[in-house]
Amino acid sequence: MALSVSARGIDLLERGEALATLSEGLSEARLGRGRMFLVGGEAGAGKTVLARAFCQGLGDSCRVLAGACDALSMPRPLGPLIDVAGTEGVLADLVRLGAQPSEVFEALRDVLAEQATVLVFDDLHWADEATLDVLRLLARRIEGLPTVVIGVYRNDELSRTHPMRTLLGDLATAAAVDRIELEPLSRDAVAELALGHPIDVDELHLRTGGNAFFVSQVLAAQSSEVPSTVRDAVIARAAGLSPSAFLLLEAVAAIPPRAELWLLEALFGETSDDLENCVATGLVLDELRGTSFRHELARVAVEETTPLSRRRALHRKIVAALRHPPFAEPDVERLAHHAEAARDTDAVLEFAPAAAARAASVGAYREAAAQYSRALRFAGDRPPGERALLLEGRSRACYLADDQVEAIAVIGEAIECRREERAPTHQARALSELTTYLVCRGLLTEARSAVDEATRLVAGRPESREVAWVESIRAYMFLSDGDVDGAIALAGPAAEMADRHGDRDAAAQARVTLGTALLWRDGPTGKATLEHVAADRSGAVPAEQIARALNNLGACGASRRDHEFANAYLPAALEYCVEGNLDLWRINVLAVTARSLLDQGRWTDAAEFAALLLQDPRESPWPHLEALMVLALVRARRGDPGAHEAIEEARALGVPPDEVGVAVDLAAAQAEIAWLEGRAEEVGDITAMPLAAAVERGDASAVSRLVFWRRLAGVVEDGPLPGSDAYALGANGKWDDCAAEWTRLGTPYEAALARSESDHVDALRQAHAELQRLGARPAAAVAARRLRQRGVRGLARGPRNGTRLSPAGLTSRETEVLALVAAGLSNAEIAARLFLSTRTVDHHVSRILRKLAVPTRARASAEAARLGIAPSPR
Amino acid sequence: METYVILRRDGWRTPTELEEAAARSTVEGERTPDDVRWIRSYVLAETAGSLGTVCIYQASSPEAIRRHAGAAGLPMDEIVKVVDTVVVRDDPIPAST
Repeated sequence: MALSVSARGIDLLERGEALATLSEGLSEARLGRGRMFLVGGEAGAGKTVLARAFCQGLGDSCRVLAGACDALSMPRPLGPLIDVAGTEGVLADLVRLGAQPSEVFEALRDVLAEQATVLVFDDLHWADEATLDVLRLLARRIEGLPTVVIGVYRNDELSRTHPMRTLLGDLATAAAVDRIELEPLSRDAVAELALGHPIDVDELHLRTGGNAFFVSQVLAAQSSEVPSTVRDAVIARAAGLSPSAFLLLEAVAAIPPRAELWLLEALFGETSDDLENCVATGLVLDELRGTSFRHELARVAVEETTPLSRRRALHRKIVAALRHPPFAEPDVERLAHHAEAARDTDAVLEFAPAAAARAASVGAYREAAAQYSRALRFAGDRPPGERALLLEGRSRACYLADDQVEAIAVIGEAIECRREERAPTHQARALSELTTYLVCRGLLTEARSAVDEATRLVAGRPESREVAWVESIRAYMFLSDGDVDGAIALAGPAAEMADRHGDRDAAAQARVTLGTALLWRDGPTGKATLEHVAADRSGAVPAEQIARALNNLGACGASRRDHEFANAYLPAALEYCVEGNLDLWRINVLAVTARSLLDQGRWTDAAEFAALLLQDPRESPWPHLEALMVLALVRARRGDPGAHEAIEEARALGVPPDEVGVAVDLAAAQAEIAWLEGRAEEVGDITAMPLAAAVERGDASAVSRLVFWRRLAGVVEDGPLPGSDAYALGANGKWDDCAAEWTRLGTPYEAALARSESDHVDALRQAHAELQRLGARPAAAVAARRLRQRGVRGLARGPRNGTRLSPAGLTSRETEVLALVAAGLSNAEIAARLFLSTRTVDHHVSRILRKLAVPTRARASAEAARLGIAPSPR
Repeated sequence: METYVILRRDGWRTPTELEEAAARSTVEGERTPDDVRWIRSYVLAETAGSLGTVCIYQASSPEAIRRHAGAAGLPMDEIVKVVDTVVVRDDPIPAST
């Protein structure tokens, strides 16, 4: 790097402008207006040195936090944030757990808001997706933080599709983000650096192209010759090393990010002299945690000049040494990395699957999938059964990471391998896996044929783990088709068979199916079964099935509009999925929660959950459709714009042909929207086909729901319906009973709509007031019109949302939490009430205590009373 | 970001209350510049001396507007999406900041 050591200290040549820009940014940040600087340059341009020099120049005047990305082939998720977060605190916990970027960002923001900070992220061209997501969020909110973020990246390694290029594009128009491009050094700068060196400046500038690192390496070699490449310059610096020291250097180059002392000694025996000589070249640093190259370019240079055969042999020795670390268990991920570098097939096939299993156990499903890919690269000559195992592992990891398309493709390959292997029961098991993926995508017809083929393959065969799995998936298929009795008949025996043959996964899968079916049929037994499964955190039940159990409990409650029941499980389900990184189930739970909140009249929360879900670029169609419908209904019910856009987007996604429930949902939503917008005459057409289909398949609840909306819209030609659920009562014109039933279910909006159909003025008044409270402007206007028609005058405008001042600078969410604190609820109870995680509520409460300047909840409750915030009803 | 018209009828009893609301609106808006951007407002004379506003905002969604209103303690009557702006003459009355 262009460091010219002058009498005043270290100056950076030709970086003055960049440093000035950063200083200005910091001044702004100290006033609370943060900025982000993305510093790009070629390798060796001196980006890291710039950042470091800037931070050193600050002395103690500002907090500095720094993190760097590693040059590993599979970067650790949130790698640089591990450095920034330290070992304690909320941020450290979240990063260690591998929480979602949005959660990590919130915790990071809290840390940054405490005091003026310079936050440096180095080597972003190696960043993982999660880190880039956090950076994106940070860029959007940096203007309100007292922070300067310096993001350093190499701009000569960005292919067109590189994630960093995407980030740069996304942030191109962001107001508070600036790019600093570091240019190569000019001839004059090179001349200044070369003062006192016996070297031709023009040749030096020409050969190095002004690359600061290259220049520094050449000058450090203290020779009059200019090598033609950076690699040569680096090697020249190591020219004086003894052969054994040079081997040591090669080893350090082969072990990124750093080589521990015990490892080097295991490879070479006594190393202290050689190590000292290596350090003396200036190429490597010897620190407490191990030895590493100062500059990645240097490491790569040495690595690339190591002859291939010696490199392979070295990695093989590293694998042997890493098998027996002095402390702790062998690190299977490092072993897999070096095994691949050694091209040691047996070692790769030993360690990559183990690394995959470990990654899956902590919810790092993408990493697990990548490790399985690594193993598969080396398994070409292995027997089909062995390859099938790896493919099955990979497909499951992809599925749990919500990469459905890949999961289906890979399990297809596994099925082929099993066929080649002539292992029909294993083939059947793989077909059963395929069945679950297809159901997830809403491809029920194909799912059915897959499970049918699996059934044929195991027909007449003796019991086994694989047969248990097939039976369990058959039960699951019955459940998906709505055949509760069929599911119960198969699931129980399947679970018992799985127990007998020690397949815990299949047993759990079958029990959740059984519990769900029982829950739908009569309730209590099913509830107990599912709760029992969900409570088993011993490791016997796979995480996915626990999430499924909690989700199904919540979904059943939501579907029956038993909100108390739903609220007992959905927040716990969400927290479990977030902590366990179960993306697939997380979005399902979000969708169910959004719909349930909509039904409960909690429209702001419903829209927020729907929006959260829609941010995720995911593949399973149903949750996205559900979220769009919820958003459309919230907007239409409020009279806000955007309802049509949401419905159109839902229609564009396309309802999978077998998802009849979704088709009914969509028709009901469109019918309601048409009615709210005064286009009641369209409701008949909108609902005609879905109604006919529902009648044909004998779907009583769908029929009553659609006829309910038709009745409201004035279509009365459908005959009286059997059944006494709330929709049926309204469909039959029994509006008072209908309103009573909706009220009993805690569904205030539908109750108010039913009450608006009443002939009694009191009921109409009540409906009008309730609709205003909910913010349902169009429906309230209908009620108001009917009241005026009956001669009622002087209708109040109703309570206004948000006229109350935000006391003490609390946000509306914080005010909500404070009201619940004042009512005596614990943080866990508040979390369950508001559908937040306990950790989020902990944050809110600490912020509230800080804003109110009180030390305890009791004092906060007293403040609340003083500020006129009434405690929430329990 | 889309443009929206927001009606806040009869929201404040005195000009001071309105000024305080405007200040809160600015503070909250600066927290989330990518969610809401306040463009301009017209203050309306309501009955008995109270005041309302018509506000023009850019926002990422109607929900973002509501979130901002909740955080800043502003009333909300109606949100309408703007599809086109037609400026025929400059505002005759200069804006009071």
